[in-house]
Amino acid sequence: MSGKIIAVDVGGTFTDVVAVEDGRITTAKVATIPASSDKSVLAGARALGVSDASVFNLASTAGLNAVLTRRLPKVGFLTTMGHRDILDRGSLVRPLEAITDPTWRRNFGDAGGRPIIPRYLRRGVKERLNAQGEVFVPLDEAQAREEIELLKRCNVQGVAICLLHAHRNDVHEQRLRELVLEILGDLPCSISSETSALIREFHRASTTVMDVLMKNIYGDYTKRLQKGLDEVGFKGEFNYSDCSANLLPSDYAMQRPYQLLMGGPAGGAVSAAHFGGVIGDNNLLCADVGGTSTDISVIVEGVPWSAPTFELEHDLVVSATSINIVTLGAGGGSIVMATPEGDIATGPDSCGAEPGPACYGDGGIRPAVTDAALAIGILTPGGFLGGKKRLHPDLAMKAFESLDTPLPLAQRIRYGWNMAINNIAEGLLNISIGRGIDPRDFSLVACGAAGPMILPCLLDQFPIRRVIVPPYPGLFSALGLISTDRVYSDHRGHYMVLDGRSAPLLNRMYSAMEARLREKVGADQPGLRVLRTFDARFLGQSWETPLIEAPAGEIDEAAIQTMIENFRTTYEKLNANRFDNLPVEAVTYRVQLVLPAAKVTYPAAESAGPPQPIGETTLRYLYDEPRRAFEYDREQLGIGAAIAGPAVIREETSTTFVPDGRTATVGGHREIIIQ
Amino acid sequence: MANLAKPMSVEKVPVAGVCPECGAHALKRYEALSAGGWFQVVKCQDCLASVERKPWKRLGYVDRGHVDVILNARKAAKP
Ligand SMILES: [Zn+2]
Repeated sequence: MSGKIIAVDVGGTFTDVVAVEDGRITTAKVATIPASSDKSVLAGARALGVSDASVFNLASTAGLNAVLTRRLPKVGFLTTMGHRDILDRGSLVRPLEAITDPTWRRNFGDAGGRPIIPRYLRRGVKERLNAQGEVFVPLDEAQAREEIELLKRCNVQGVAICLLHAHRNDVHEQRLRELVLEILGDLPCSISSETSALIREFHRASTTVMDVLMKNIYGDYTKRLQKGLDEVGFKGEFNYSDCSANLLPSDYAMQRPYQLLMGGPAGGAVSAAHFGGVIGDNNLLCADVGGTSTDISVIVEGVPWSAPTFELEHDLVVSATSINIVTLGAGGGSIVMATPEGDIATGPDSCGAEPGPACYGDGGIRPAVTDAALAIGILTPGGFLGGKKRLHPDLAMKAFESLDTPLPLAQRIRYGWNMAINNIAEGLLNISIGRGIDPRDFSLVACGAAGPMILPCLLDQFPIRRVIVPPYPGLFSALGLISTDRVYSDHRGHYMVLDGRSAPLLNRMYSAMEARLREKVGADQPGLRVLRTFDARFLGQSWETPLIEAPAGEIDEAAIQTMIENFRTTYEKLNANRFDNLPVEAVTYRVQLVLPAAKVTYPAAESAGPPQPIGETTLRYLYDEPRRAFEYDREQLGIGAAIAGPAVIREETSTTFVPDGRTATVGGHREIIIQ
Repeated sequence: MANLAKPMSVEKVPVAGVCPECGAHALKRYEALSAGGWFQVVKCQDCLASVERKPWKRLGYVDRGHVDVILNARKAAKP
């Protein structure tokens, strides 16, 4: 594949756009219009000349925002009679914060925005399959029609159907969908056996509901975008990014659009994995520091940590393989405040995009981390967003002066800054230790506009190998959309104890899924890879170890032995025991067809002689007395350039801070390594 | 004292207007006990959409009369 690739990553404040052509990267930032983000997407695409591009990749947050703000279309839910409260009941797990709170109550019925479909639109249908998928009570079509007629009178814009045990037999769901389309006409209708044919009716129901909501939201959204792209003469392929930051062709994505829900945050992780491959560093922690939050992902041996499900909110579950992202409430916009005792605390409150930090001069009066950086002298009044935005140090100082604390000004600023760093350090420590990772073996990739400014200071608080600032740190997440492959995937659920007898059925399942996907992808695609995985557990366990590798080709007795062995090895890695005598039960089976896509290349750095400072700044408050620090222009730094801290390295969309006692070195692909 | 001879039942009072969700003329006001306690609700009897919902008396239909009945019964049971 050749030609220009454009990638668009929609954020809360800015929409980032990058274009890659012949190894050259051009970038643009446009303001996000939250109410109609498709307009900002098109504006961004036009800014970098989408008309002659061959590929257009988009990470959209339109669906996620609609769910979080509950701006959702009215949809109905049909399920087996007596089970319409599946969505209400959820997983029966209390949220973490409720475990020590005896007054916590689940919101039931018509109260409180949960579940996402109100009770009167959740209707029971007389039918029942048994656990083997055999018809136990036949579908009562007359009664079903009555319920669908009622949904019609309520003007629903879509219907989700999830019947008990439908993952084993879709006969009733298929017939119900025919009735829905007959009575309600052509509207989005998702059935669980097609959307998410997995065991566990709550997860299946929740995912199917999300799917029909997303069909509503992304159906029109995609049409508007496609029309806008047609108008400027774009003739290439249009892909969405899914929860694993894989690329899905837009028409294919619309068949199961629930996969797009977490398409945005995953970009940073795959970008880090790809860049790590380029520079030969495959064990990474990636921290994407934005305005309000920091998204953290873990990459082990080049592969981002993934999970088979994710939770949007408590008991709002979507079964989609997704990269594990942990979000901390700490960013450049985190508010520095005085506690009632007069101490300084930072975050998790954020000043948000409006009014922004006090130093923006847009009406903010509470000090944020960015204000601290300006007061310290890491940021300078004219050096923000390539000089497009002027910062006001006097307003930053005034905001710190207004804090109700006996601490002197210098300490307010220094503590506020250090608390922000400490919050991220604590989050990183919990994530890495909690997953059995020794951070001393890992490099921290600092991205997001504020990452290179804040994260190098972590070296003094957190035992990490080194901090790497990649090229274009402010657009790193968008570059993730040009760091990944096109993936077609399918999955099925079926309880099966793995032994020789399970081979024929397992073989049929894997080969049927694979055949259907090959049909979609088309014959003879060069470079096509097939990946099979499964989730399994020891017989008697109630939770699975996910995403274990399964062999390709025919599943025979030997292949089953390999699967069992793979399971035990993975289980032992995670839990330090392999239980050789316990039988293994497989639960979920997945197939992915991976088509390589064109990826961004990071040109090798050139040498440019010893680094020459472009200016000097005074760092106040951070150390016991003011320190002079040289400022450098990142564009002018060549390979091998070494800069001793304290120093500040500037570029158009970001600022890198090299703390006292640390050295920054420019690596082979223009990355800055601080250790 | 409460009249125990007459079995209690919830009285559903018709309310004027149409259901904003399905358009039926079937709105009724009545009391309902749910996980959050007693509520007085207006619901469409056709689609069961909840049109109005506000907290009602803590103990619902239980009043002083019922308490007296119980206390008297206990008194009578004692030797
Ligand atoms: Zn109604």
